[in-house]
Amino acid sequence: MEQTAYRWYILFPNHQQGLRLNRELKEMGIKNQIAPTPRAASSCCGISLIVEPDDLDKIRLIIEHIGVTIEKVVKLPVKTDWQYRGI
Amino acid sequence: MADYRQMWTDLGIDLEKHDLLCEVLPEAFGGVFLSQQSRPEGMDFYDFVVSEIHGVRPAELIEHRKQGGKVFGTFCVYVPDEVVFAAGGIAAGLCGGSQFWVPGGEKVLPVNTCPLIKASVGARLDKTCPFFQIADLYVGETTCDGKKKAWEILSGEVPLHVIDVPQQKRDKDVAAFEGEIMDFIEVVENLTGNKITPEKLGEAIKLINNKRKALQRLYDARKASPVPISGKDALLVTQIAFYDDPARCAQMANRLAEELEQRISRGEGVFPANALRVMVSGTPMAIPNWKLHHIIESAGAAVVVEESCTGTRYFEHLVDESGQTIEEQVKALAQRYMKTNCACFTPNPGRIDDIVRLAEEYKVDGIIDVNLQFCNLYSTESYLVKQALAGHNLPVMHIETDYSEQDYEQLRTRIEAFLEMLRK
Repeated sequence: MEQTAYRWYILFPNHQQGLRLNRELKEMGIKNQIAPTPRAASSCCGISLIVEPDDLDKIRLIIEHIGVTIEKVVKLPVKTDWQYRGI
Repeated sequence: MADYRQMWTDLGIDLEKHDLLCEVLPEAFGGVFLSQQSRPEGMDFYDFVVSEIHGVRPAELIEHRKQGGKVFGTFCVYVPDEVVFAAGGIAAGLCGGSQFWVPGGEKVLPVNTCPLIKASVGARLDKTCPFFQIADLYVGETTCDGKKKAWEILSGEVPLHVIDVPQQKRDKDVAAFEGEIMDFIEVVENLTGNKITPEKLGEAIKLINNKRKALQRLYDARKASPVPISGKDALLVTQIAFYDDPARCAQMANRLAEELEQRISRGEGVFPANALRVMVSGTPMAIPNWKLHHIIESAGAAVVVEESCTGTRYFEHLVDESGQTIEEQVKALAQRYMKTNCACFTPNPGRIDDIVRLAEEYKVDGIIDVNLQFCNLYSTESYLVKQALAGHNLPVMHIETDYSEQDYEQLRTRIEAFLEMLRK
């Protein structure tokens, strides 16, 4: 049986918080990707950060240490059958 | 999450309809852009801009208006942004690149109008784009018949000034365009209440030239093999350049170009060195139109240059910065803008010269000459492009398409066959 792959998104109350964490993680060499927040994660628009699950504990400590405010961490299944869809 | 709903409500946005647009963006952007491997780190900024596409920049424009500034919505690379910035205004490109807006445009326009015009009109009439709601004045031009009539419809919604772009390039046409720029200066001064002095215009010329230089530097990096950035990412940079702050645009494009230059020195690329190199020429691809680039690059070829208004036509040629008087500066502006080779000119041999030159500079294996559906000018000119390129032994295929995904598979088959032919 095929295993479902997941992606972890960190959501923020505003983009300043997201950009700050993005910068901090980059400086520390921790992989993260700016992405538009998927609808399945929130009904509001804006940036989120995709991070690796293995880094989550480390990232939580960093968030606490530098005082970045996050809204939540959301785990969503990765769509492997995505077909081009115009906007 | 950032909640822009109050801002959108204040702008008169149809929240329910607009929400449908917000819903599809993350998945489409993820599928087209975030699925790529080895993207440059400098793309972070552009990913951020798209993530906040109807939030951060509109908020900046609203703040500018609160301070008494004016916003000018534009639709063409012939509009001299320098004039707007010299008067303390902000110019923001408004061209619609989404199928989402097309039905709104079709309510008032003939169906056989190009999707860019239909989307632009639809975005305003349906009230689903903050940028269209914010602009104090739309600046139209006469680069095609469809646009000329669309301005008459849009002028019922928003004050609109039309710049008459000549259709030939004789000395008297360049002089006529100087006159158009002088008229535009008056319009901008009246709306902003600010006098455009030679000092201010000189500063604005440098500001926009710096943006052009940064975009050229980025494109220069695409001449390398292996190519250090995908065509999709480069296209996104240009699309965003149309409405971002010009100084920030130059800063971010230079930062990205520097990273690409480092990649080149290390021999790193996003496609193998032997990947096919393709030029896309023709009509503009306004954000979020990424269809063709996605098809080409998903088939393993790299788009290395766009000969279009969302490509080299946007930033090639600088304005002479030595003018000391408004008259000298306006002359320099007219000369620069009239070097742009759009299919609205007759004859238009300069565009074919550009394609041949770019093919050599970017070492392309083939050219995909594309026009938006119902764009009579570029569609007709494709015959001449094909004829001329055959004389230079440059393989070319012509495509006519729109913003929808209906022809996606058909295009994919045609493009893959063209690429297969190039590989032989």
